Amino acid sequence: MNRILLLLVGIAAWAGVALTAVLITFNIGDKNQILMFLPILGAVVVAWGIGEVVTERVFNRDEGDA
Amino acid sequence: MALLARTFEKRELRDPGFVRAIFANTWLAPIWLFLRLYLGYQWLMAGAHKVWGGGRWIAVPGPDGLGLKAFWDRAVAIPEQGRPPISFDWYRNFLTFMLDHSWYRWFAWVIALGEVAVGIALIVGAFVGIAALFGAFMNFNFLMAGSASINPAMFVIAMLVIFGWKTAGWIGLDRWLLPALGTPWQSGSVVRDLAKKEAREPSAPGIRDTGRQRGPHPSPTG
Repeated sequence: MNRILLLLVGIAAWAGVALTAVLITFNIGDKNQILMFLPILGAVVVAWGIGEVVTERVFNRDEGDA
Repeated sequence: MALLARTFEKRELRDPGFVRAIFANTWLAPIWLFLRLYLGYQWLMAGAHKVWGGGRWIAVPGPDGLGLKAFWDRAVAIPEQGRPPISFDWYRNFLTFMLDHSWYRWFAWVIALGEVAVGIALIVGAFVGIAALFGAFMNFNFLMAGSASINPAMFVIAMLVIFGWKTAGWIGLDRWLLPALGTPWQSGSVVRDLAKKEAREPSAPGIRDTGRQRGPHPSPTG
């Protein structure tokens, strides 16, 4: 159960990246490409951090199974 | 005959260290992240103009794809003076065939949603190599139809990302997707687990895990 929750957190983090990118490009457009780029980069960094810290445990069973 | 045998004998030519460092080492993953995000952002932007707003190609009152039809009409036109946008006759015939059969109505959906999908996949780093390949294919087609714009630059970046597919998605979903799903030539952990389950069931004999198969990435933990 805990593992599934962590997996969902990881999926939500990356879904958040996709949502951020879509909302920014669809609503704000390409008025300032640098300003558009930064929030997307920030979202990726946050999701990557969540993946490294949290969802790492989800996939940490290879060694245990082997 | 001996010359042919010697020329084509099985021999693996290994990449030099700097090539492996660029395309297969995770220490350059941040550089790939920037290239990938730039490419994904451009595709998402291009797709956004086609699925959203007043000038969109799809989900419009009346027949879809009139924007694409206008683009194809311009591309296949042969001016009385100067060079036509399309250099290859077979490509012009291909577009003319699609115009004659009103394929722009459904093809506009393929292009618009394809651009958005490629953009999102590149941004979140999911199946980056495949996404970049589809993106490069779209760039190729826009170039063939005589539309340069930023397509040459995007094509070059897409080719680099394709070559760096193993590490381009390292700061992204591929970090977990590739070890889990693997590749057609190396099964991942999920596929191995399924194979193990199948092997335990008597209905599917013969499938067994040798323990030697590993995905293109090591386990995220190590």
